[in-house]
Amino acid sequence: MLWIALHLPLLSLESFAATLLQRSGELPGEPSNQPTLAAPIALMDLHHIVSANPAAQALGVKAGLKRATALALAPQITLGQADAARDAQALTSVAHAALAFTPAVCFEPADALQANTVLLEVQSSLRYFGGRNALLKRLRAALAPLAHAVQCASAPTPQGAALLARVDAPREGRHAADPATLERLLDAAPVWLLGPGREHWEALQGMGLRTLSDLRRLPRSGIARRFGQGLLDELDRALGSRPDPRDWVTLPQVFQSRLELFARADTTEQVLHGASVLLARLVAWASAQHAQVRRFTLHMQHEPRHRHDAKTPPDSTLEIALAEPSCDAAHLLVLLRERLAHLQLVAPTLELQLHCSDVSRRAPPNTELFPTQRSEREGLTRLIERLQARLGCEQVQRLALVEDHRPERSSVLSAAEASGVAPASSRKAGSRAAVAVAAPAVQPVWLLPEPTPLAERQSRPLLDGHPLHLLCGPERIEAGWWDAALAARDYFIAQAIDGALVWIYRARLPLSAASEGEGWFLQGRFG
Amino acid sequence: MDAMPPAAFQPELSVAARPPLRAVAGGQVAGGNSLFRAPSRPAPRLPAPAPESLHPALWLGHQLGRNADQAAPSGFAVLDAQLPGGGWPRRALTELLLPHTGVGEIRLLSACLAATQLAGRLVMVFDPPENLSARALDQLGLDVEQLLVISTRTKVIPGADSLWALEQALKSGHVGAVVAWLPPRLRAERLRRLQLAAHAHDGPAFVLRELAAQQRPTAAPLRIALRPAGPDLLNLRLLKRRGPPLETALRLELSPVLSDLARSRAESAPLPAERVPDLCAATFINLA
Repeated sequence: MLWIALHLPLLSLESFAATLLQRSGELPGEPSNQPTLAAPIALMDLHHIVSANPAAQALGVKAGLKRATALALAPQITLGQADAARDAQALTSVAHAALAFTPAVCFEPADALQANTVLLEVQSSLRYFGGRNALLKRLRAALAPLAHAVQCASAPTPQGAALLARVDAPREGRHAADPATLERLLDAAPVWLLGPGREHWEALQGMGLRTLSDLRRLPRSGIARRFGQGLLDELDRALGSRPDPRDWVTLPQVFQSRLELFARADTTEQVLHGASVLLARLVAWASAQHAQVRRFTLHMQHEPRHRHDAKTPPDSTLEIALAEPSCDAAHLLVLLRERLAHLQLVAPTLELQLHCSDVSRRAPPNTELFPTQRSEREGLTRLIERLQARLGCEQVQRLALVEDHRPERSSVLSAAEASGVAPASSRKAGSRAAVAVAAPAVQPVWLLPEPTPLAERQSRPLLDGHPLHLLCGPERIEAGWWDAALAARDYFIAQAIDGALVWIYRARLPLSAASEGEGWFLQGRFG
Repeated sequence: MDAMPPAAFQPELSVAARPPLRAVAGGQVAGGNSLFRAPSRPAPRLPAPAPESLHPALWLGHQLGRNADQAAPSGFAVLDAQLPGGGWPRRALTELLLPHTGVGEIRLLSACLAATQLAGRLVMVFDPPENLSARALDQLGLDVEQLLVISTRTKVIPGADSLWALEQALKSGHVGAVVAWLPPRLRAERLRRLQLAAHAHDGPAFVLRELAAQQRPTAAPLRIALRPAGPDLLNLRLLKRRGPPLETALRLELSPVLSDLARSRAESAPLPAERVPDLCAATFINLA
């Protein structure tokens, strides 16, 4: 059995930092490879500082100081309070990311609300991933978008791995391949790593017991009488002489995550920054079941500006459906950004919730070097989705041929569907050539949306003041008796002064001139 | 400049030119003149390679450039002979300048676009000035199923969105061919940005602009001015290309719209060579 422990020493600070609106020097959506936060942040309970990030520690703020002292040392520091539920959500997404590697994942300690370590049992996955080091590398890469500082350790027992992960040792000193190495590494570990050891730390220190090796040399009955059986049990579980059954984390069927922002979000960029954190968690959840997201919903809870303002709705919902299911956080963020740009935020946002229940389990997208037809189709679908998100669905159009002799009705523009674009594999070139032979006279490529009336001089039509020279015609088109738009026209091909060809018409009979209009009209140009 | 590199690091070319060193008894290498004979004639030097054969992107001023990628044939032999690479360039913008819509530009491009669609790739059209007729495109050999029309003119700021959409399509690299009508009086750096984006686009990219744009420089490597020369005839002037400038205009016969009878009637009529100068009304400015 090989257990890997992922310890998150700065979990509370990082989950608090995720609620802040702007990280200095970072753009939303970019995964930060180094989770050190540039701005000084510290967490406090009622009166004293509990923890501070490295930037705040550099300014002199450390645990135990009072609020006023901290503010005097670092005026620009952001002070917040730790929230167990928020930390639990962040840790759950780390567990989801770990679930992509093995089905056996649990928290340490067992209660998710106090946990800050995730344990994975990976013995059965080692061969698939190519060894412990390759697995650890891939695990770190999968956890990178979540932006947590992670300390990894591995050992044959879960408790041993959890203890080694918290030891402040170089990276080589945290991996134990067999129980003998584990014993040797744990012998050098300090006593306060054990839970009960922390409570009795002063007593143990007074007795000169600093490392676990000191503790093991003493008689067991004496330790049990002075410090309780719990200390011995934990040590036995760490060394493997006592069984340690665990409850595995199960993946929820529906993804629900909320992020309460530290300050009101007034602009789209601030909302996007919070949404990018939630999207990273969504991608971790989807990758745990090797699925791709097809549709997700973002709820934004607003803060009413005035207490008596009953007109502002309490929340807004934005639903994003993808034509091609995808697991790419950057692509989802781009789509969200384009849709948010169109949405008018009625009131500042205080809380964001992301909900997803629609995933598709299919083969992962093609990531080959050279484009194949399938990757090209997926790339085209994504491009059309982006264009539709920014310009609107009605601006991306496709032409369709309608069997109607009236030229203005023979081609119709309609909104294209992103998933309907498919590069045709076999074209009917032969049939098109046959159609071209039997087709009526040639039509112009450009059709004016409304036929333009032309002036006349000596019964010859004028275009831009110059007479048109009629070359070909008349081609009689009379159609549309079945709906109200009867068209009875004689079409001519005429040549303009510079040599360009245009398509003009006039009403066929004086009777139909009442509906068509008097005189010559310009319908199209031959492009 | 730092000192000459030591003898051991001389480039390969000149090693052949230096006299070989022979090992003498005792394992010592001797290079002095007393121990070997100087060669009777100097070792043959390798000829310097012509620069244009080193890389396809290099070309001399009097030659017609070649394209690194296979150029898309335009369908007109007269034009292909004058275009660098023997066809429309890929991964670069081709600028076509028109006096007005409807001089025959679609018939000029139809052969290339039809070939792109036959290869199974999509053709995207950005901001066509007027409505396209599906029947006419069908008659020209294009497939309306593999054609997508993007119109950005209904937005409040038409310029920014149309260029953004064009840039996205070029950068994606999955579109087969792009035909775009750019807004008038476009700034040079915007066109340069599109040309940079076109490097990722595997296929021809045509941008159509007004004739007045020829006064300003362009970042596109190929620039052609079109003018109608008669019924079904097109007059092309290659304003800019990777090669020597072309003085004479090319005259292309487009796919015929007129029947033979109509064409003879058109030719018998007086063909306007230049525009007839028209009288314009005088403008009175009140200086009072």
